[in-house]
Amino acid sequence: MSDVAKPKNPEDDWKIWLVVNPATWLMPILLTVLAVAIAVHWVVFAVGLGWGA
Amino acid sequence: MADMKSLSGLTEQQAKEFHEQFKVTYTAFVGLAALAHLFVIAANPWW
Repeated sequence: MSDVAKPKNPEDDWKIWLVVNPATWLMPILLTVLAVAIAVHWVVFAVGLGWGA
Repeated sequence: MADMKSLSGLTEQQAKEFHEQFKVTYTAFVGLAALAHLFVIAANPWW
């Protein structure tokens, strides 16, 4: 396993799609980003940094 | 051996093509988020 070439990023970034099929995983990825954004906004408003802070 | 099929089933060309669009969309997302943060900083800095 140790002779596997180490990726050089960002030029090898595209290879992720040789492992993760976006036809299957693009929407789950985008929905996860949305969930993180909602969570962050929730905390920010919860600690009182909302509109009128 | 037969042309190596990737784990995801995408060819190298498809992976590179998709990644180009992914980078564009992600850059737009980061740009918009940065803009939104600048508006919040201008209106109501959180520090």
